[in-house]
Amino acid sequence: MSPPAINPPSPIPAKAGIGLRFQHHQAVLDVAPDVAWMEVHTENYMGGGTPLHYLDAIRSDYPISLHGVGLSLGSAEGLDPAHLERIRRVAERIEPALMSEHIAWSITDGTYLADLLPLPMTEESLNVVCRHVDQVQSYMKRRILVENPSTYLRFCHSIIPEWEFMTAVAERTGCGILCDVNNIYVSAHNHGWDASTYLAALPPAVIGEIHLAGHSVRPLGDGSTLRIDDHGSRVIAEVWALYRKALERFGPVPTLIEWDTDVPPLDVLLGEADHAGALLALADAAEARNADAA
Amino acid sequence: MPTLLELQRAMRASLVDRDDGAAAAMLAENVPSDRLNIYRNTFVTGVTKALRLSYPAVHRLVGADFFEGVAGLFIARHPPRSAYLDEYGAEFPEFLRNFQPAASLVYLADVARLEWAVSRAIHAADVEPLDLVRLSALPPEDQSRVCFVPHPSIGLVHTDYPADVIWRGVLSADDAALAGIDLDDGPARLLVERRATGVEVSRLDDTAWRFATMLCEGRSLATVFGAAADTGGDALLAEYLAAGRFVDFRLAPAEFTVLTTLPEIVS
Repeated sequence: MSPPAINPPSPIPAKAGIGLRFQHHQAVLDVAPDVAWMEVHTENYMGGGTPLHYLDAIRSDYPISLHGVGLSLGSAEGLDPAHLERIRRVAERIEPALMSEHIAWSITDGTYLADLLPLPMTEESLNVVCRHVDQVQSYMKRRILVENPSTYLRFCHSIIPEWEFMTAVAERTGCGILCDVNNIYVSAHNHGWDASTYLAALPPAVIGEIHLAGHSVRPLGDGSTLRIDDHGSRVIAEVWALYRKALERFGPVPTLIEWDTDVPPLDVLLGEADHAGALLALADAAEARNADAA
Repeated sequence: MPTLLELQRAMRASLVDRDDGAAAAMLAENVPSDRLNIYRNTFVTGVTKALRLSYPAVHRLVGADFFEGVAGLFIARHPPRSAYLDEYGAEFPEFLRNFQPAASLVYLADVARLEWAVSRAIHAADVEPLDLVRLSALPPEDQSRVCFVPHPSIGLVHTDYPADVIWRGVLSADDAALAGIDLDDGPARLLVERRATGVEVSRLDDTAWRFATMLCEGRSLATVFGAAADTGGDALLAEYLAAGRFVDFRLAPAEFTVLTTLPEIVS
């Protein structure tokens, strides 16, 4: 299915943004930080009252991206129409510049499992996800981005490499890819993949956004370690290095700093965004040089 | 090879029912239980946090460890149905009422019921109040058939114990207020609503309570005033309209209305 034609071009610039959390609502209004855009979790704004009023005020100064964490694109039993409608209503009010969801599942038998659970990388999962992305894009009347997950386990019967799965979803549905560079780093460590190979396999033309965040390391019972995508610290040097590789491959892409656990003062987030912004400026300059040379 | 649905049900059994067998057999990993535990912990801690945000006074009354324990049991029995977790936890007050280890806190379920109403008020949809011009435009003979639709933030909570005093005292850590509570003070009839400045909890007397419940249940004005004659109902109605507590109205079928003298509705 081709992407819906009515999707307007994204007004989010290829600059650094921050994930907006409740702790920073008032600070953002008070300080009016110099940051290009912000992203929120759609599920946090499904009710009325204070959060939505803050977002109304903030969206008049910053482009907003709506990032869903609970639609469960990979549910075998289908999407919850009530949740789809809640997302649509938030989008109608906020008029986001981008909307995204995850290649994951979180609902089965009517139970929400409160995490982005890994899918078996099979043809059946691919069909389910593509059907649901088609459904979401038709319902929202716009293109969405889908994000690669962090995963802590793999299934025996997975046969499709995750990067091929991501690419196939984009090809079959016309959606874009939200490339979470930290998630690639985390999953590559956890499953023994090569992160550069993963990046190199993604099609640059459909990368609509990049996520960066911190993660933690946890020991397993057999002496090995798992990297856990807890969004609770600064982006580590290895992930910044992988981000530079991503920019070399994709060119400048809107890049978001996420922080959800032990959320620091706004300044710390802005510092991380400045770092990403500097790397984006370098990528801009490189792209301009390449254009001149061509 | 398991179907996607079989796999997802196996994962649910692992995370909610703590039965790892089927899921572990599907994993291409060493130490499968450690890996499943990561998702189980995220599930339980995430949903427990959602409950704690909706029930902060219950959390303080029972303490963090007890809360975590009772939340874990509650979550296994009533897991969330959607990612809109602000809506989660409606059954928690009733669960607490029947939870034997908390039986000595006789008022705990009442405080929880109040907190649920407060949480619903906090998260209720934004809806514009009723435009009073629409009311005054009604022909006089139709006014007795008006049945109001309350603002979604409005909750009416009848508690056996003074839950409002306990709730305020606990959340403001006001030991003096808590020490002064007499549990035999009798029941409390509470109106919970979201105003521009935040959620308010106010006490209603018996008359105001009966009036408020009938209005908010969508009874016709004829019924409401038939039952509350000569008790200041017109002043209460004016107060409710002025406070924007109604967002809409419908007209009851004419044959069911009782003719009665109504206060004049002015916008």
